[in-house]
Amino acid sequence: MSGTTQPVGSTAAGTTVKERAELALNDEFLRKAVKFTTERLRGGKLKASEEHGNWDDWRERGRQIRLHTIAHLDYYLNLFADNARANGVHVHFAHTAAEAVKLSLAIAERNDAKSVVKSKSMVTEELHLNHALESIGVEAVETDLGEYIIQLAGETPSHIIIPAIHKNRYQIAALLSAEAGETLAPDTTVLAGFVRKKLREKFLEADIGMTGCNFAIAETGSMVLFENEGNARMVTTVPKTQITLMGMERIIPSWSDLEVMATLLPRSATGQKLTVYMSGITGPRRAADADGPEEMHIIIVDNGRSNQLGDPEFQELLNCIRCGACLNACPVYRHIGGHAYGGTYSGPIGAVLTPALQKNVAEWDDIANASSLCGACYEACPVKIPLHDMLVYLRRRKVEAGHGSKLESLGMKGFATVMGSAGRFGGVLKLGKLGQKLVVRGGVIRTKLGPLKGWNTYRVAPSLPKQSFRDTWATLEEEIRVGLRETAPDVKQRLEAVIRERKQKEGGSLHG
Amino acid sequence: MAETGMGSHRDWLAQLESESRAKQQAFMDGIATKLGRPRVTSAPAHPFRGAPDFWNGFEWPLEERIERFTDNFKSVGGHVERLADMEAVKRFIAAKAVELKARYAVRQNQPELAAIGLEEAMPEVRFAVWNTDREEHWMARAAEADIGVMLVDHAAAYTGSLAVLSSKDTGRSVSLLPTVLIAVVPIERLHTRLGEILVPFDEAGREALPAGIHFISGPSRSADIENDLTIGVHGPGIVYALLVG
Repeated sequence: MSGTTQPVGSTAAGTTVKERAELALNDEFLRKAVKFTTERLRGGKLKASEEHGNWDDWRERGRQIRLHTIAHLDYYLNLFADNARANGVHVHFAHTAAEAVKLSLAIAERNDAKSVVKSKSMVTEELHLNHALESIGVEAVETDLGEYIIQLAGETPSHIIIPAIHKNRYQIAALLSAEAGETLAPDTTVLAGFVRKKLREKFLEADIGMTGCNFAIAETGSMVLFENEGNARMVTTVPKTQITLMGMERIIPSWSDLEVMATLLPRSATGQKLTVYMSGITGPRRAADADGPEEMHIIIVDNGRSNQLGDPEFQELLNCIRCGACLNACPVYRHIGGHAYGGTYSGPIGAVLTPALQKNVAEWDDIANASSLCGACYEACPVKIPLHDMLVYLRRRKVEAGHGSKLESLGMKGFATVMGSAGRFGGVLKLGKLGQKLVVRGGVIRTKLGPLKGWNTYRVAPSLPKQSFRDTWATLEEEIRVGLRETAPDVKQRLEAVIRERKQKEGGSLHG
Repeated sequence: MAETGMGSHRDWLAQLESESRAKQQAFMDGIATKLGRPRVTSAPAHPFRGAPDFWNGFEWPLEERIERFTDNFKSVGGHVERLADMEAVKRFIAAKAVELKARYAVRQNQPELAAIGLEEAMPEVRFAVWNTDREEHWMARAAEADIGVMLVDHAAAYTGSLAVLSSKDTGRSVSLLPTVLIAVVPIERLHTRLGEILVPFDEAGREALPAGIHFISGPSRSADIENDLTIGVHGPGIVYALLVG
């Protein structure tokens, strides 16, 4: 239901992060729910990663596998497409969202589809596919419990793992009662029982099952789905036709590599050792099989992803495995919730991915300011994507592209100077503690001038504590940065050479 | 809208395929250009393939595998029983059917299950054996079943997971649609790590893989309503793993 018409309620209605965040911040329930859930998920993740042991070795392995695959993406994606086709899958390529939508609609029309059952897919959210299907008279039913709830509410997901994080059970009971035509008690078991029964009917009558894709295995042409409810299994088992939409970067080389991803993804997302279901689908049903789809399509979607290739600052975005750990770790997300980010992807990953995919820094510029650059996202990331660095690059590119004011340009130069030296940063903080005396009123800072401008225009910053986080963790930032520089200097150098070459050829910024 | 003849549908798919193949070239060329190098057409060396070395040698002795599997499976709401032989499996399932007042059941068409005479042991239950009649609507039979019974291909103790492979005789629906799932795990199929099950899929190669490979780690669950854990949202809400031998 994430069409072009803006839904009502707590969903994004404002046009800037500032306005949307104000809506989110005014919603007491949302704030509590987001905080509760993200803390629970974060706690689960920390417990699961500690229990497993050698967590940093696994992260590093995960990162290396993703770096290797993306660095040779033409080879592995081509191999995947050839193998999937050999398995009997109809493979398609879409450069843009519009092309992917057109292909999906053509498949639906050709199969005379009346209804489509969907399991959770961020790509289809990105494409606003439900809206498009409805425009040709095809019912699109979300079957993940949380997604089904927010679809009934006419809203968009606010968390990548728990989409209906912002709804309480009384609101959910009201929505489901309207659907049932009778009053359902606000009891989780009753509500889930109703959804099970209702969606069973939908699964059995649907013409098409539509899924996303967590990983695509190049060497065997298989696609892999992780889930807890069983709805993705229903979608890939019951309907006659299956359509899978996958981002072009979802590739891993082998089932052996899947062990690493299966170790990192569930632990990072929900703290589980493995999701209840992990399914590897290799082609449509075999001739003698009695279930599974007879016709299977995989649509490989670019939609802005390839813009990150060869870009030394943003290529690692393609390593993302969509676990949501950075959302749960982010103090800003925990405070404002997902809808405030305004795009399909929220939290630190959304703050970078949305403008990167859309290639329009100008329109999304304020989203990069919705971060405190504390580095918690990097530490939480199972494949070590330096999101906090990317947020800084994004702000710099915005300024370079002429979307910043004179004052901000000065600020960025100052920022670079300060961030270049941990000692200087500490000094500035100390200065800040003195300087803030001029602007602190009643323990908070409300001024919209100077270095806290971007932050304070949509929230009230607490005054700096006498002993700052920086003072206690003086070397953390430095460790992260130095550590990063040491891990892949060759990759970085090569990419930087490429970008210099390309800039000479094209004479412009990649994201501008 | 849709063409009715199969021929025209096939023509249409063929047309899509030729468009797809042309686009595939453009896609891959575009990727190589953006990466600033020629196309990579032979397999690159992948020094970081699979799990780290320290992990690959890791294996628990059998009794510990049983203990860890049991702990993990129970911790997510599953049930585990250790049984001496297939005769005990039959008695357990028959007693469970009576206890749960089961009326319909479905089982995979596996020789190990046929050998113990499950159907004869519970004459009051209408038993369907997967895909034994081409005319039957097998998904409907699985959907109406109170109990689904299957022999698993593999299990992994470290994550508390069962693994099942689809085939003519083993439907994906049997482990998915019934209310209660009973999984028989011959003890020699219980491994320590997921990798012991996954790596052989690479070794077997594409053509040897079935359409569906499913790892199942407990009952279907959701925490989507106020973080309140619900069991049995779409898949089976009650799952038994019977460790045999």
